Amino acid sequence: MAAGFKTAEPLEYHRSFLKENCRPDGRELAEFRTTTLNIGSISTADGSALVKVGNTTVICGIKAELTNPTVEAPSKGYIVPNVDLPPLCSSRFRPGPPGEQAQAASQFIADVIESSDVIQTEDLCIERGKLCWVLYCDIMCLDYDGNLLDACIIALLAALKNTQLPEVTIKPEACTPEVNLEKRNGLLIHKHPVGTSFCVFDNSILIVDPTAEEEGLSSAHFTVVTDEGDRLCSVHKPGGTALSGEKLQECISRATARQREIQKLIDKVIQSVKAAE
Amino acid sequence: MEECGDTNITLREFGCEQSLLSRPDGSSSFMQGDTSVLAGVYGPAEVKVSKEIYDRATLEVVIQPKVGLSSVRERLQEQSVRETCEAALLASLHPRSSLTLVLQLLHDDGSLLSCYLNAACMALMDAGLPMSCLFCGVTCAVNAEGQIITDPSAAQEKESRALMTFAVESTEHRVIMSSTRGSFSVHELQQCIAVSQKASEKIFQFYRDSVRRRYSKIL
Amino acid sequence: MPTDNKRVRRPEVSQSPSVFACRPAAVLPAAGPRADGRRRDQVDVRPVFVRCGLVSQAKGSAYIEAGNSKLMCCVYGPRETDRKDETDMKCGRLITDMRFAPFSCPERGSWIQGSEEKDLSLMLQESLRPAVCLHRYPRSQVEVNVMVLENSGSVLSHAITCASLALADAGIEMYDLVLGCSIRQDGASYMVDPTYLEENGCSSGSEDNQGRLTVAFLPSLNQISGLQSDGEMAEETLTAGVRTCIEGCYKLYPVIQQALAKATRKAAPPPSES
Repeated sequence: MAAGFKTAEPLEYHRSFLKENCRPDGRELAEFRTTTLNIGSISTADGSALVKVGNTTVICGIKAELTNPTVEAPSKGYIVPNVDLPPLCSSRFRPGPPGEQAQAASQFIADVIESSDVIQTEDLCIERGKLCWVLYCDIMCLDYDGNLLDACIIALLAALKNTQLPEVTIKPEACTPEVNLEKRNGLLIHKHPVGTSFCVFDNSILIVDPTAEEEGLSSAHFTVVTDEGDRLCSVHKPGGTALSGEKLQECISRATARQREIQKLIDKVIQSVKAAE
Repeated sequence: MEECGDTNITLREFGCEQSLLSRPDGSSSFMQGDTSVLAGVYGPAEVKVSKEIYDRATLEVVIQPKVGLSSVRERLQEQSVRETCEAALLASLHPRSSLTLVLQLLHDDGSLLSCYLNAACMALMDAGLPMSCLFCGVTCAVNAEGQIITDPSAAQEKESRALMTFAVESTEHRVIMSSTRGSFSVHELQQCIAVSQKASEKIFQFYRDSVRRRYSKIL
Repeated sequence: MPTDNKRVRRPEVSQSPSVFACRPAAVLPAAGPRADGRRRDQVDVRPVFVRCGLVSQAKGSAYIEAGNSKLMCCVYGPRETDRKDETDMKCGRLITDMRFAPFSCPERGSWIQGSEEKDLSLMLQESLRPAVCLHRYPRSQVEVNVMVLENSGSVLSHAITCASLALADAGIEMYDLVLGCSIRQDGASYMVDPTYLEENGCSSGSEDNQGRLTVAFLPSLNQISGLQSDGEMAEETLTAGVRTCIEGCYKLYPVIQQALAKATRKAAPPPSES
């Protein structure tokens, strides 16, 4: 009976739960799904992380390559993030070039990297005007069950923290770089941005960490990205129903709390990886 | 002229023309200082079966850059403009049909996203599509001294440490869209929202004036 | 290369740091134990870790890890065919798509599907098709998506195993499971389930009988559904190689059976005793 009701009237089904201040999967309105993190599992990448937020699974692999800096910014390297939603992760995605959602997510991640200063591109410069690193951050969704952006940011941050770049020396006489793959150094992570996504139901009910189903039924999406200094790196609301000032404040305080939790989680996982080595 | 204190909000000179194109069902051009955008709306028209939504119209937004092909940056802007329009439009009045909004960038001199939003709203109005409210876009830049500049030019955007664009609706002046760049404090966010809400009154007044001017010629 | 306007802009040229590495390229030793301690000329497959039903959105899914090779497969369908003109009234279609994640190989790959991936997709499809009862799904298609997360050799054979497991997990009717195994023939000796280096490394030994062989095998029917070989091998070497691969498949069989039984038991727990 309940299953039939859910299929025929999905919105009513969700409303009947929200009225009681809970959700169909048993969570409270402001409760996240269990977040798990696995760091450095891909040995072919220079840094990698796998994040699970409930069912949503995202993997990020970072590969560093050498290139020439641009003339306009001779002392800056590049960070090239891309989000891919392959047909593997959900039946809603088709094979072929990235769709609108994947493209918008890629740009959003690129904006977060730039706004938050998680890495300063100056750190990626090896020799001014001649040689610099380009970090290809390829983020791939393996299981799409909502809240893609949060999972992508966690995966990216954890993978960046895991990244070890080989040492490069430039021989002055030959002018060619020499790479020592055995000796590697970590990246300097300046900030720890973490995202928190919300969905609005019926113009007033706010839920955190929506599933794919909840995302489809809600009337607005909203993502706040904060760093450890409680500064906002992005307040992204692409439209939908309006949000009042008090609700916004509520979202921001939830986001700062979430930032603490995730930073603690990343540190814990990195510690345990180090201990295992 | 662009400098602004907390009470006195200044915008660059605005300009708007509606129904300037003959082929689309609604069109507008919108100027904010030197930033200029052309918008055209087609629809309600027949929709592709694959994109059909059974209980409302399908809205598509296309942003064309000045030269070359659109990139991922335009995709994110398209998404923001589309979802803002969807919030204002009464799309359920035209189920199983398509609405297409094309935005052509003519010149970018800062506050681009807000100009897209304003042009979109005027074009939707011109097409006579039913909407629950109007909306307008306001861009605020926070410069190094912490001052808030509304409707910044490209040079002011470059100097700013944070840039925020909001879409404000006309009934209760609430924020329906937000897009930001750079990092900022909660207090700055709230200040910018308040400034944008104030600025939106000016813009809605401009909307009213320009529509009145247009119809005064006809009627 | 034309600029890709559907992804974040990247610098036009960039090179992998390994190009400038000071150490020489690794050469395959002609004899002695293999780099990971396995023995040559023995059916010594890497221990595999297999799981079913990991992806919530898919009808069926499987994950396989053999050494450092990590693959994931999701099955969607049966559903209506995408292309109406190709609808077959009597028989369903099996669509396979195999892709490498950009970070899966020592050199960064492109997002755009290359010819190698297309070839592998086709070989995967041909190996799986004989095992799937496609006549039970007229006018519909079954999609098999394989993603290689890390390529440490023998990806095709593991993709075959993983895909058949995902198909079984999705409840698609099949005659049998399909298991894959591959070998690398290096002169007189061979290496079962080769790693990336063993697969691609040039040998220092003899020039004769250099080749690679992948066999897809239906264990309970005792039939071969796919055979792919490249390189140059004598007839006897090839037949011996096929036999070795079959032996390798039988070694995998109990592990795969167990994983499937475990997933099925979890999905539909047996009635409790009490």
